[in-house]
Amino acid sequence: MRDARSASSPRQWLAAHAVGQRRWLGLAAMAGVAVGVLTIIQMALLAWIVSRLLVVGDSLAALTWAFLSLIAVLVVRALCQWGQEVAGQEASLRIRDAIRGELLEHLAAMGPVRAGARHSGALANQLVEQVEALDGYFARFLPQLRLSVIVPLLILLVVVWLDWLAALFLLLSAPLIPLFMALVGMGAERLNREQFAAVSRLSGHFLDRVRGIATLQLFHQTREAGEEVHEAADRYRRLSMRTLRVAFLSSAVLEFFASVAIAVVAIYVGFGLLGYIEFGPADELTLFSGLLILLLAPEFFQPLRTLAQHYHDRAAALGAADGMLALLAEPVRRVEGSAALPSADERLVSLEGVTLSHPGRGRVLGPLSVEVAAGETLVVTGPSGAGKSALLQLLAGFVAPDEGARRTQAGLTFAWMDQRPVLIHGSLAENLRLAAPEASEADLQRALERAGLAELVASLPHGLETPLGERGSGLSGGQAQRLALARIFLSDASLVLLDEPTASLDEASEARVIESLTRLVEEGRSLVIATHHPALMAMASRRLELDAGAIKAQATGVPLHE
Amino acid sequence: MSESLKATLSPWLRLLARRPRRLAIGVLLLVVTVFSAVGLLALSGWFIAASALTGIALAMGLAASLDVYVPGGGIRFFAVSRTVARYLERLYNHDTVLRLLADLRGRLFGAMARLDDRSLARQRSSDWLNRLTADIDTLDSLYLRLLAPPAVALVAVVLVAAFLALWVPAAGLAVAALLLPTWVWLTAGQARLGMAASRRQVGHLQRLRSQAIEYLTGLAELEAYGSRAWHRRGFRQREDALRRDQRRTGRLAAFGTALVNLMVGLGMVATLWLAAAAWQQEAIGGPILVMLPLAVFAIGEALALLPAAFTQLGATRGAAERLNAVERASESVPEGGNVELPAGALSLRLEAVSLHYPGALAPALRNIAFELMPGERLALSGASGAGKSSVAALLTRRLPPSQGVIILADVPLEQVDERSLRERVAILGQRIDLFQGSLATNLRLAAPEASESRLWQALAAVDLAQWAESLPHGLATRVGEGGRALSGGQARRLALARLMLRDPGLVILDEPFAGLDADTVARLSPRLDQWLQGRSVLYLVHQLDGGGFEPPGITRERRLEQGELTVCAKSEYPSG
Repeated sequence: MRDARSASSPRQWLAAHAVGQRRWLGLAAMAGVAVGVLTIIQMALLAWIVSRLLVVGDSLAALTWAFLSLIAVLVVRALCQWGQEVAGQEASLRIRDAIRGELLEHLAAMGPVRAGARHSGALANQLVEQVEALDGYFARFLPQLRLSVIVPLLILLVVVWLDWLAALFLLLSAPLIPLFMALVGMGAERLNREQFAAVSRLSGHFLDRVRGIATLQLFHQTREAGEEVHEAADRYRRLSMRTLRVAFLSSAVLEFFASVAIAVVAIYVGFGLLGYIEFGPADELTLFSGLLILLLAPEFFQPLRTLAQHYHDRAAALGAADGMLALLAEPVRRVEGSAALPSADERLVSLEGVTLSHPGRGRVLGPLSVEVAAGETLVVTGPSGAGKSALLQLLAGFVAPDEGARRTQAGLTFAWMDQRPVLIHGSLAENLRLAAPEASEADLQRALERAGLAELVASLPHGLETPLGERGSGLSGGQAQRLALARIFLSDASLVLLDEPTASLDEASEARVIESLTRLVEEGRSLVIATHHPALMAMASRRLELDAGAIKAQATGVPLHE
Repeated sequence: MSESLKATLSPWLRLLARRPRRLAIGVLLLVVTVFSAVGLLALSGWFIAASALTGIALAMGLAASLDVYVPGGGIRFFAVSRTVARYLERLYNHDTVLRLLADLRGRLFGAMARLDDRSLARQRSSDWLNRLTADIDTLDSLYLRLLAPPAVALVAVVLVAAFLALWVPAAGLAVAALLLPTWVWLTAGQARLGMAASRRQVGHLQRLRSQAIEYLTGLAELEAYGSRAWHRRGFRQREDALRRDQRRTGRLAAFGTALVNLMVGLGMVATLWLAAAAWQQEAIGGPILVMLPLAVFAIGEALALLPAAFTQLGATRGAAERLNAVERASESVPEGGNVELPAGALSLRLEAVSLHYPGALAPALRNIAFELMPGERLALSGASGAGKSSVAALLTRRLPPSQGVIILADVPLEQVDERSLRERVAILGQRIDLFQGSLATNLRLAAPEASESRLWQALAAVDLAQWAESLPHGLATRVGEGGRALSGGQARRLALARLMLRDPGLVILDEPFAGLDADTVARLSPRLDQWLQGRSVLYLVHQLDGGGFEPPGITRERRLEQGELTVCAKSEYPSG
């Protein structure tokens, strides 16, 4: 496949993906051409039968073979039609899979901080609905695009052979169609992009309101929020109607030309047969040639009409691709250029003169340098908003520093826990195995014990197989936090990064967790903990106090202010 | 889950039926479109055949004439009416559908807003999103794809067959015999075969979406543990299942499309054969012989929409079922009474209150009884999972107690008017919900009419005013999804400021200072103390240690252990 990422426009990007499935797309087009050829044969047989009956006066019995051939042609044509659709679908299925994979890879490369800054509902919409929105483009529009050139040309050749003047009528009206469609299509495309943005915003709006529906109820604001939801949907309707008015106009233009061309051909042929037309090839028209021309006239426009029906597929795909390209254009994390720390080195990870800014918030951290040595417990303190989380994210490599460098030991493994641990839809066991997919049941039990969750799990009727809801509904805040801690215990990470690990635990659980954390320290793991809690601060072998993104004080062993 | 198709769809059909005029006009425009197409082709065929025969007669020197103006005019008329009717029909019907969708979205959100904690917790919020948007979007196919087109197709088949029967009765019968069963197959048959796969597809897409959200919100942990590939495997399995079902329905729809063309073609051949026989018996003229098969030909257009639409009927059905479930759940939630709560601090009394979550082994609360006098500040302490959040849910009527009564200001809680309850009882829970939008929008949730200066006052009370002033957009600063742009501590303080914009008589504060640093708490505590004057307060805390993190002015403490109140040695709390 040509590198789709180097494509600059949505159209090129989609085309690059189409090249990857050119065999299925080609098959679809070939089947479509076969349908076109069989249609011509079918019409010719029809006109021939009528002409033999009416003009020559053949008996029905003498034409039996012609009727049978007609039926055979119909059957083969139906088979080809089936093949065309199925091949197009297959190409589309494969391409959508590839595109979804590409997007997911890119999000991973952007990293948790940059990808996490985007609205997850809108992104999920992009990954699921908008990728699905590419279906029509690949399955129907692209194969039809080739057919809309080849099949009319074939028909035109037949009509030229029958009557060049009638062919001229068709030829004259045909080029006007793409011209009009291009004009109309350009507007529709822009509108479609707007509509996609609107759909994306709309679903973001919904997810936000629905997530907070309990709060809305408590403030007695659900009626207002409901009205807002209705309003947003109605805005979406008005926007859609604007798109549709234009989108339908393009197919109306086409329908108009097709209808008029049929009417003109019918009247021309009729008058020609009556002998009213004194010039050109009209006097050579027969019932056979005249009827065949009439029958082929709609077929001449049919591929273009079908294309126009799928035109909104193209517009939808381009709109979706535009958003996807914008996402793919988001910078990925800078790959570490600097050498790994030597394995003999004490340091597991070091930040050297790093700074970090967030869009819209300016610089949140730095410039500063921090090192974490093997086996130490570094506690990071500071008022909320001082940059504690940013420091942990930089240490984890979730975001690349704007300036400076992060260096780690080769093959460093680390564990992470923040204030909002991720809980996946699945059983408790699956949620634990997120940290160690191969872990045995016994491993899980041990980890639960260390995190102080074993009792609770033992009391559940389904134990480790108990399913969890989204954002851990079913678990209290403290329990969710302890589940995330259990994951850390399950992993063999040598560096553990903890962002407010005991924020919602009671003293007893906190003491238990601290005990387990101490055990981790004893195992020789390094801990970096951002916290306010005195009990956790007491664990520190070294402390770092941040204020407004800079190091305010640093101390070893002893607390900073007593 | 498997109620009958009719029962599932009937609420939505009734909703459609509320706009009979719009629907009728839409169908009429569709019929005009189809018959313009039939007319154009059939009349043209007739005209050409008639011209040819007249031409031959003239060439043979016979006296023959043909009125060219009426058919010519008819052909031109059909050419224009087909275009115009089609454009108007599409525009009009899409507008109808989108109008309906906006109503449906608002109505469904309203139904969801009536749900209590129990029903809400059962759903995942990305599923809710799907219900609101995708399911309702799927229901648009009800009219535009599943009702109008089969009706129009049936009318077309019957009328064309009748038209044929006028000239050649056998041809009319043959076409009806071929195309009516085809119509039945395209609707009922395709729907039946595609039902299971298309119904599953909706579920697959829904799961894919929530797996995508998990992936995105969990990138940090997945990356740290090197489990991205592991999560991707689950995602991929779901994609594979989706692809299998899409392939199945796609092939079925393709079969339907091919069948339409084959059957219409056979109908045309049969008509041609029978008409030719009739012509040879001089029952009809030559031009009619040409016109009849061409009329059959044009029915194809009316049938073409059916296969794809009915193969996907399962998706529509699944969507309708899920929406029905939401509406049903909201209907089962009891409404409040109409007793207004008095002004000032409220008293509170719980008598033998128990709460048992369905499916849970042990009750969450057992025989809870305590009393709160107006203006008192009771601290209910307990470890996480002891039942504090359940008490809060009961007091805010987010859940009904399984047993016992709750009396608020001498009124049984269930009799309190909803608006009055929300105005007079305020809660700061463990989870903070901030909404996409500005700081001001989030604050005004509590007080929609509040002036800017009041908002600034509230921010000052939680020590956020200085920070907000330093932001380039001030109060108009957007807080991001769920308040992501704020730190945890800032979000909590913002929620506290939001609470302080109200004037409640009972305030429930769940760990008000969680996640805040000692300096901030020291500044915040006296201001909170002042605002709480003249209100009854219930603090929910893990442990009282007398330190700086303790909420201000506690008068009494009760301890909750595994859903039960324990006898507390120190129930009279030394104030200060």
